[in-house]
Amino acid sequence: MVQIDLSKVAITEANERIRASAADGQDVEILNPDARHNIGVGLVVDNPVTIRIKGSAGYFCGGLTDGARFEIDHNAGWAVGDNIYKGSVVVGGNAGAIPGVAIRGAEIVVRGNMGSRAGQVMKAGTLACGGNAAFMAGYMMYGGRIIILGDAADKVGQDMSAGEIFVGGKIASLGNDTMIVDMDERERDEIMEFLERYQLKHDGGFTKVVNAGTKLRYAKAEPRHRPQPFFVSSKSSNYWNAKVQEDIWIKGEVGRYRIRGYGASKPVPHLNDIAFVKDISTVAPDPEELKDINLKTTIGGRFGAKPLSLSMPVMIAPMSFGALSRKVKIALARASRLSGISENTGEGGMLDEQRAEADQLIFQCLSGRLGWNVKDMQRADAIEIYISQGAKPGLGGQLMAKKVTPELAAIRGIPVGIDLRSPSRHPDVLGADDLVIKLQEFREATFHKVPIGIKMGAGRVNDDIKIAYKDGFDFVELDGLQGSTGAASTEVLENVGIPTLAAVQEAIDGLAEIDAKDDMDLVMMGGLKDGVDIVKMLALGADCTSVGTAAIIAGGCIACMQCHVGTCPVGIATQDPEHEARYDLDRQAMNMHRYFESLRWQIAAITKALGYDDVHKVGRGDLVALTPEAADITGLPYRPEHRHTERPLTGLELLDRKAG
Amino acid sequence: MCGIAGVLFKRQGEHEIGKTLIEMLDGCQHRGPDSTGFALYGDTKELLQLRFIVPMQDPARQEAIDNIAALLKRHNATIEKEESVGCSYHIEVRFAGDLLAFTRDIEEHAKLVSVGHTLDIIKDDGTAHELDELYHVGDFKGTHGIGHVRLATESAVRPEAAHPFWATGFEDIAIVHNGQITNYWKMRRRLERRGYSFHTDNDSELVAVYLADKLSQGETLDHVLETAIEDLDGTFSFLVSTKDEIGYAKDNLAAKPMVLYETDDMIAIASEEVSLNRLFPGQSINSTEPAPGTHQTWSRSI
Repeated sequence: MVQIDLSKVAITEANERIRASAADGQDVEILNPDARHNIGVGLVVDNPVTIRIKGSAGYFCGGLTDGARFEIDHNAGWAVGDNIYKGSVVVGGNAGAIPGVAIRGAEIVVRGNMGSRAGQVMKAGTLACGGNAAFMAGYMMYGGRIIILGDAADKVGQDMSAGEIFVGGKIASLGNDTMIVDMDERERDEIMEFLERYQLKHDGGFTKVVNAGTKLRYAKAEPRHRPQPFFVSSKSSNYWNAKVQEDIWIKGEVGRYRIRGYGASKPVPHLNDIAFVKDISTVAPDPEELKDINLKTTIGGRFGAKPLSLSMPVMIAPMSFGALSRKVKIALARASRLSGISENTGEGGMLDEQRAEADQLIFQCLSGRLGWNVKDMQRADAIEIYISQGAKPGLGGQLMAKKVTPELAAIRGIPVGIDLRSPSRHPDVLGADDLVIKLQEFREATFHKVPIGIKMGAGRVNDDIKIAYKDGFDFVELDGLQGSTGAASTEVLENVGIPTLAAVQEAIDGLAEIDAKDDMDLVMMGGLKDGVDIVKMLALGADCTSVGTAAIIAGGCIACMQCHVGTCPVGIATQDPEHEARYDLDRQAMNMHRYFESLRWQIAAITKALGYDDVHKVGRGDLVALTPEAADITGLPYRPEHRHTERPLTGLELLDRKAG
Repeated sequence: MCGIAGVLFKRQGEHEIGKTLIEMLDGCQHRGPDSTGFALYGDTKELLQLRFIVPMQDPARQEAIDNIAALLKRHNATIEKEESVGCSYHIEVRFAGDLLAFTRDIEEHAKLVSVGHTLDIIKDDGTAHELDELYHVGDFKGTHGIGHVRLATESAVRPEAAHPFWATGFEDIAIVHNGQITNYWKMRRRLERRGYSFHTDNDSELVAVYLADKLSQGETLDHVLETAIEDLDGTFSFLVSTKDEIGYAKDNLAAKPMVLYETDDMIAIASEEVSLNRLFPGQSINSTEPAPGTHQTWSRSI
C-alpha cells in the first residue's frame, strides 16, 4: 500500500502517483485530503485497486475513472463519482450536490445524507444513500437505480426518462412526469443484496418512483413535407414567402413550435457586407506561386498542452453521431486527415472508426454527458466543453425519436425511441466559478496533455469571452447566429443570438478590455462558406475558423432542412440503415477533401493578393465595410465604393484592365 | 461568480478574525481570482468609521480626499483620525446627526464602501494574501466577519465592484453573495422608487440595499432573510453580517454551493468544504449543507 500526503503533494502530482501505484496493483491511502478537489480523477485500471481517502474529499472525487474502488472516510463535495463506468465510491459521511452524476454503471454509496440533484443524467449503475436526499433526486436520469433509505425532499425524479428510484422514508413531493408503482420481489431481493454488500441496514419497505411516460415524446412527430431547399427559403427580399408559408402549415399540423434542421435563414449582416481594401482579383491562380504562403495554424498551446496542429486555419465543426449517420462521421474524419485539419465528435460520443480515420480529433462534452467517458477523453487530441451553440443558444440538443435507434441509445446511455431533449445546463457547472473546477477535473483526467476549449453560442459574447479567458481555457469556439443544427425550433434558430460578424467583434473587444494576452485562441464559426470568408474572419481577429454546413454540403447534403425527420434522402442525417446505405462514403469523403483543398487555395491566394506570406499576418487594416450596419458592428471604415470588388468583372472591365 | 466565507466566534474576545478569513478565502481563491474583500467586526468604537475607495494616483487621489473633507464639513462631521492605504481612505469621524441623510449625500459624491462603529470593509483587486500584505488584514482581531473572492463576469473589475457590500444607509451591515439575481432590474427599480440609489450594476449591491430597506422597517434579520428568499429570483447563496450576528440565505434551487460547520465556540460557513477544512487541517469535520430555500442566523454572546 502506498501513502500520499496531500498536505505535502499537489493534486496533479498526487494523481500521477495514484496512477503509477495502481498500475503496479498497489492500493493507495490519501492522507490529509482536507476536502481538496479532483482526487483520483483520470484513473483507468483493469485490475481493481482501492483508493482510501482518510478524511473528506472535495469536488469530483473518483470522477472520470474506470475500474477503481474509492473509499472516502468522511464527506465528499459536489459530483462524487462523476461519470464512472465501472468501479465504486463509498462515502462514509455526507455527499454534496449531484453525487453519482452521469454514472454509466458504477456503484456509489453515501452512508450519510446526500445533496440536491443526486444522480442527475445518470445512465446505469446504482446510487445508494443511507440518510436523506435533498431535492430533485434523480433529476433528468436516463437509467439505473437510486436507493434512498431515508427521506427524499421535493421533486423526486424530476424529468427522468427512465430508471428507478426507491425511497425507504417519506417523499416530500414527486417531480413532473413521474409515478409511483409497485415493486416486485426480485427487485427487492436485488436491493437488499446490494445493501448487505455495503453494510447498509433497512427493513425492505420502499416506495418506487418511475417515469410516467407522458412527456418522452412530442404528441405529434414532425411531418415530412416537400423539400424546401434552404437556399430557396432564405431568399432575403420577401417578408411573406414560401418559408413562412411552410412554417405556418407545419405549426397548424403539429400544434406547437416547429422543429427543423439548418440555421437562421433570415438576412443579417455577414461577411459579404465587408470587403478587402485591395483588389484581390489580381492574384495569379497558379498554385506554384502559392506554395510558400504559410497557412499552418496551432490551436490550444496556452498552458503547455500539445496544441492541435492544422495545415490551415480550418477545423470541422462539431456535429454528432446521431444527428449524422455513422458513414458521414467516418467520411468527415477521413477528409479531415487528408486535408490536415481536425474533426470533432459533437455530442454523441466517439466512434472507433472515426478515431482511427482522424489524425486530430476533438471530443466534445455536453450537458447530458451522452457518450461521454474517460477512456475516449484520454484518446482525444483536444477536449471541448459545450456551453451552447449559435443555432440555439441556451438550449440543449434535440434528437428526434426516429434517430434514437438501439445502437445510438446504447452509445449515449439513454432509452430507445424517445424524443431526446438534452439538458440546457451542465449538472456541475452553474456558474463561472464551478467551471474553473470542472476544467481542472478535465485537465487531471487528461494529464494536462491536451488542449481544453469551450464552445459557446454567441449571446453576451463580451462577458462570456472574459469568463472563458479568466477560467483558463486554451481555446474558444464561438458560434454565431447563422450556425446550423440537426434539430431546433425555428423561433430559436431565427431569433436567438447575435450574428457571427457581431460575435467576433465583441470577442475581440472583450478580450482587449481585460488586457488579455493574445494566448487564448479564438475559433470562429457560424455560416462560413469559403476561403474568402475565412480570410475575412482572420483579418477581423480570429485565429482559426470552423466549417460545418459547408463541409456537409460538399459531402452530398441537398439542404432540404429535414435533418430532424431521420429519413434523410441522401443518407446523411439519418440512423436508418436503408437510408444510410445510399451514402457513398469513399466518394463523399473525397468530395469533402477536395472542398477543403479549395479553401486552402483560396486562403493562400487571398493572402498573397493582400501582400503577405503568412495568413496570420492579415489584419483589420485589410478590410472595409460595405454597409452602414457592418461598419457599425465592426468599427471598420464604411467604403461602399469597394462593393465592385465583390462581383466578377464584366467583359469591358476585363478589357480595360488588360489595356491598363 | 465567486466564493464566500463567514465566521463568527460565539464568545466575546480578541479572536483572529482576519487570519481566519484569509485562510478560508485562500482556500477557495480558485472561484474568484479577480478581487477579494473582507467585512470585519471588532470592538465597538466611540467614533464612526468610514472607508472610501479613492483613485490610486495623485492628483486624483488627493482631489478625492479633499472632496471627502469638504463633504464631511458640510454635515458638521469632524475627522479625528485618517489613514490612506491602497485604493482606500479610512477615517474616524465625530458625527451626531441623521446617519441616513448623511450617508446618502456622501454616497452621491464619493465612493463610500463601509460605515459603522464596529465594521470595517476592506476590498480591492487581488488575492486574499495580496490584500493582507497591503492592508494587514491578518492583524485584525474581533468576533466575526465575512469575506468574498470574486470572478467578475458582468460588471468591471474595480475595487468598488468587489464584495462585501455595505447595506447603504445602515451602519455595521454587510453582505457577500455568490450567484445571480435574475429579477435585478425589477427589484432595483422598486428600491429606486423608495429613494435608494445604486452605485454599481452589481446584483450583490441590490441584495445589500434590499436588506437595508427591510431592516429599516424594523424587521428582524431572521425575518428579512425569509422574505429575501421569496422576493429575490435567481440562484444565490449569500451571507449577511450585523454588529452582533451573521446569517445566510439560500435560493430555492440550491444551485450555488454552501456548507457550514458549527461548534460550541464558532460557526463557519463557506462555498466549499475546502475552506472550512483549512481551519482544521488533517481533521474531518461534520459539515452540513443547508437545504434549498432556507436561512438561519447566529449571534455572538453580548
